[in-house]
Amino acid sequence: MAVALRALSVDKRYGPTLAVSGASLALETGKIHAIVGENGAGKSTLASIATGLVRPDEGHVEVFGERLSPHTARAAIARGVGIVQQHFRLIDALSVLDNAMLGAEPVRSFGRIDREGARVKLERALAQLRAKLDPNARVSTLGVGDRQRLEIARVLFCEARVIVLDEPTAVLTPEDAHALYVTLRRLADDGRAIAVVTHKMDEVLDHADEVTVMRRGRVVSTRAVYRDGGRASNRGEQRRALLHDAFHDSDEASSVALPGAGDGDSQVLLEIDGLEAGVLQGARLEVRAREIVGLAGVDGNGQRELVDVLAGLREPSKGAVHAHAPIEIVHDDRQRRGLVLAASVADNAVLGELRRFSGVIGLDGGAIRNEAERRVHDGGVVPASIDLPASALSGGNQQKLVIARALARDDAGRRILVLAQPTRGVDINAARQIHRRIVDAAEAGAAVLVLSADLDELRVLCHRIVVITHGRMVGEALRDARGQWDESATNEKLGARMVAAR
Amino acid sequence: MSARTATRLALEADIWTIAAGTAVAQIAFATLVWLYGDSPRAMTMLMVEGTWGSAYGIGQVMFKATPLLFTGLAVHVGLRAGLFNVGAEGQLAVASLAVGAIGAWLPASTPALVAVPLLVVVAGCVGASWAAPAALLRAVGAHEVISTILLNRVAAALVGLLLGLGLAQKGAVRTPDVVPHARLARLDRLIPSFEGSAVSTAVLIGVATVAITLWILPRSRAGREQELVAKNDEACFVEGIPVAWRRAQALLVSGALAGLASLGTVLGYKGYYEQGLGAGAGFAGLAVAILGRGRLLGIVFAALLFGTLAQGGLAINAHVPAEVMEVIQGVVIVAVALGDARIRSWLTSKLVVLGAR
Repeated sequence: MAVALRALSVDKRYGPTLAVSGASLALETGKIHAIVGENGAGKSTLASIATGLVRPDEGHVEVFGERLSPHTARAAIARGVGIVQQHFRLIDALSVLDNAMLGAEPVRSFGRIDREGARVKLERALAQLRAKLDPNARVSTLGVGDRQRLEIARVLFCEARVIVLDEPTAVLTPEDAHALYVTLRRLADDGRAIAVVTHKMDEVLDHADEVTVMRRGRVVSTRAVYRDGGRASNRGEQRRALLHDAFHDSDEASSVALPGAGDGDSQVLLEIDGLEAGVLQGARLEVRAREIVGLAGVDGNGQRELVDVLAGLREPSKGAVHAHAPIEIVHDDRQRRGLVLAASVADNAVLGELRRFSGVIGLDGGAIRNEAERRVHDGGVVPASIDLPASALSGGNQQKLVIARALARDDAGRRILVLAQPTRGVDINAARQIHRRIVDAAEAGAAVLVLSADLDELRVLCHRIVVITHGRMVGEALRDARGQWDESATNEKLGARMVAAR
Repeated sequence: MSARTATRLALEADIWTIAAGTAVAQIAFATLVWLYGDSPRAMTMLMVEGTWGSAYGIGQVMFKATPLLFTGLAVHVGLRAGLFNVGAEGQLAVASLAVGAIGAWLPASTPALVAVPLLVVVAGCVGASWAAPAALLRAVGAHEVISTILLNRVAAALVGLLLGLGLAQKGAVRTPDVVPHARLARLDRLIPSFEGSAVSTAVLIGVATVAITLWILPRSRAGREQELVAKNDEACFVEGIPVAWRRAQALLVSGALAGLASLGTVLGYKGYYEQGLGAGAGFAGLAVAILGRGRLLGIVFAALLFGTLAQGGLAINAHVPAEVMEVIQGVVIVAVALGDARIRSWLTSKLVVLGAR
């Protein structure tokens, strides 16, 4: 096996923050290499440097032994290095095919675009992924899962020999995530080098050959994953070692003490009654005060429509929502619907609430800063500097900021919280913090609806899990009196419901 | 980073932009004069003497810069809300006509304390009203660049029509003189060495307007939300910010500020409105806004730079055509615009949209 890509002690500084410091990385052909670490550890920056998107301040990158020069994405792509980013880089208005060939259009004579050739190439890429995507479909009609498949197809389309994926399984169901790794293994066996940025230790132990752990911009360790006929051997020991490197923390199991809700006598705060809108086909759901309900589903089964109706952004064609308390929403796409990335953390922390701070002589700047400081502090946002632009925060910290803002509003306990993918792309520590805050809110009297494809998360966090498929609620799993899940709540059984045919 | 460091860095950036703008203008000027076959050095000397070389010249530069302070500020208010108000030209023309006509219609004995504030309100309201159709159309999705450009043409035609229909003095294409107390004092009354130059107290009103507006914008809810809307309208909409209204507001304020430029031309200079008075100030405002980058010092300097070019063109007119100065204005605009991140991102977004079709 040969080293396909090597990063040699690269540094990258953003303003006062050293995002990556003296980090080295070697990706070998035929192997799946995981890069793990908590939010802000520098994983994404290192991945961006390796793929030419970000030019390092110090150090350089070699592709198949040759120095990447100039250090640009174009040069990297030309040498067969591709990246699938956590936040998709697709053009909504174009078709799947147009997006796949964007920047890599095959041409015939006189520079005419060879659409047929491109279609054949795309279909080959889709077949390798086992993805069923209509090349003519507009990207705007695709769910998050399909968008991600398209992103991967796009990299294959460019005939990448080194593929870097940033948090690829964040939005996938367990089955889809497993299928993705099967695909990645096949791509590796074909002689490609694969790197996956993730913070899911189980994925690393199940699928990776090598793992690099990062903490605070530095590479802490690089080890081989030892496995014994598929499963990692000494799993517990290996996991402990990784967690120790990443967090100085040997206890991963996220356990939150749920409030004793879900009992029948607390008041119903949110009623969703036979809602029809787009994909939604008569969705029905009730959430009580002090109750956390998980809505499990594969993306594109009506979740977006449901959230839009609850947010008042869309009128249902049939049915109604009865809300008996103020509704606070956290949308799944934090970069488009959560934050104004170019504005300061302070502006984002109180986005849409300036009315509260405006007096006769204009805005009370001091009060805004104090409130923003408080929210940033309560939400555990790092770095806790409210003057930085929100774009300077890592993905996980951006999410913490969005959640902190939602939770800080209407502090008066009785409210409805709708949280779409609240911990998507967020590391274990941050996820645990977010979970704790959600539970605190429920304890204080909130009715909470969590939409997620991550069944493990829902099983930890929720009193009750409802499965949504094709716009309908098709199943429910409950806990018994002792808080144990009934037997219909296994990942396999819930997962089967999530992908059930119509 | 401390607040003081931030202020210092911003000031440094201001000075660099100013230096770059001046340098580009100087290089373009020298090249053009050389191509024309004259001596760049002699012409530069002549231009400097005609502008910053005497109190009269300085007064004239300030006079030329006066309307640009208002229009530059007007365009900036739009830009920070993500809108390109190309209609300052038309907004100014219509407001100028209204100020001239109403200023002449007032009883001759109207005291200054009534006449001037009243005409300021008229200028602002009429300027805003001319931006209103564009604001309304933006709310339903029509692009403000197109609508404001078209409204410029409508304004030009309307002004001519109304002058012809009776707002003009008999036998002339201008309004009657405004009442005496509505006129703004020439600065040479206060500082005798400005003798003969047309600079008036309107320039002081202009600088004050720029300073006050720039101070208020980030300290008011509307102003702050306008800026957020420019950066991500979807997130703002989801969080309950009235996106369409904030945009409309910004365009209306922009129109009002453009209308206020008539203080310099009608009340500070001629004392009446004639067709073409103040023409070009609206478009030059685009350049001032881009070069001024939303900073007091920047806008004042940019207005003075373009004022210098306009006045300098007159000073060298005997040797080199004054149109040379228009070419230089264009060169400065292009150079500075390409250096401005806001314009670059705006252009990029347009190119992506065009490319996607």
